[in-house]
Amino acid sequence: MNSKTVHHPETSMLLEFSAGTLETAASICVSAHLHFCAHCRDSLLRLDQVGSKLMEDSQAEPVDEALFASVMERIDRLEDGASESDKYSQVGDYPPSVNKLIEADDNPPLWRRLSGSVDVASLKTGQKKFEVALHRICAGGKTPKHDHGGLEYTVVLKGSFSDERSVYSEGDFILRKPGDTHQPMGAQNGECICLSAQSAPIKLSSPLGFIMNNLLRINPR
Amino acid sequence: MAAQSNPLQSSVKRSDQWSNLLVAVGETRDRAAFADLFKHYAPLIKSFAQASRHEGWFPGLNEDLVQEVMIKVWQKAAGYNPEKASATTWIYTVARNCRIDMLRRKSNTQHLPLENEDYWHEPDEETPTLLLQQKRSEEKLRESLAQLPKEQDEILRKVYLEGKSHAETSEELGLPLGTVKSRVRLALQKMQILVPAEFQDELTHEQ
Repeated sequence: MNSKTVHHPETSMLLEFSAGTLETAASICVSAHLHFCAHCRDSLLRLDQVGSKLMEDSQAEPVDEALFASVMERIDRLEDGASESDKYSQVGDYPPSVNKLIEADDNPPLWRRLSGSVDVASLKTGQKKFEVALHRICAGGKTPKHDHGGLEYTVVLKGSFSDERSVYSEGDFILRKPGDTHQPMGAQNGECICLSAQSAPIKLSSPLGFIMNNLLRINPR
Repeated sequence: MAAQSNPLQSSVKRSDQWSNLLVAVGETRDRAAFADLFKHYAPLIKSFAQASRHEGWFPGLNEDLVQEVMIKVWQKAAGYNPEKASATTWIYTVARNCRIDMLRRKSNTQHLPLENEDYWHEPDEETPTLLLQQKRSEEKLRESLAQLPKEQDEILRKVYLEGKSHAETSEELGLPLGTVKSRVRLALQKMQILVPAEFQDELTHEQ
């Protein structure tokens, strides 16, 4: 839960997460990163404090006098029913937000072969801008060199992979944009599982990539 | 969690009255404490609701939000950890999540399987140094917030209270996105919210 993450979301993303203005798909990835990164959790708490101070210092608005009674009435009705218990069950050993996405899906996500060394399982998130999915690279697996058609957020959930720039391990948060070409490779010592959110398909860089590129799509669900 | 207080950490336990009331609600379902919390926070939550400039928000939702938030406060109070955050910070996060969820429920384009609070799970580990820092930072915060230059304060209010993204803020103020981001960063530095050296690299990569 507290592995030493090296790659973090930029400050402005954390702030938007704290203010609740970050897009859903990006929020899911930030949330997964927070699960691993005590440092960003600490930052987030401070950012939440900023929001709370702004709320606290704003001009209090008198509420309708009947409101308290109506809240208590609803609370009494709730108490009569089943007591609300925390449903933090652990489906896999993914971060809770990912587990909950998997649990909430009537059709549990299935691994699908993408290439010789990569499997993908698409997650249902209910937003339409990004495809959110798990990617699994086998130990030592090579992926094709590619560019990015849009934004791509990635968080390493298990194992590690590397590309031309760096090595990425559990909890690391990576943002790729159009023009960022790379060729990820799974670590030799075990499979690597990543959570990713893509706003557009990748673009293969190989000479014949243009044939494949027409077949690559994202499928937000 | 709140119920099992660690003697080692009691010295850093928060003593502000709202946090004590919230703990009482969580531990003994204390209705009088809840009534006091309601009196104090309901008008602040309403004000937070009223500040929203989200597309699709209208005044009729303001008191709905107050109700939803206060019911959540009642339901979730047992999970409140006074050593980690003040009652106000905790209630703010509940209000923020509820506000987003209300908007999403109204939206036709998003049918999300999860609620916003599902993205805000809180692992229960703390280190005493971290807690002391948190407490200090919370105390200093109000003071430094009041001293921010107007242009920085304005942007923080748009983002936190009105619920505008950085991109929307930049459009509305007619400023480049980079300027919005750098004003936010300056404000956070001034308030000593973020000064981690390891972020410096990333900051230079931003456009």
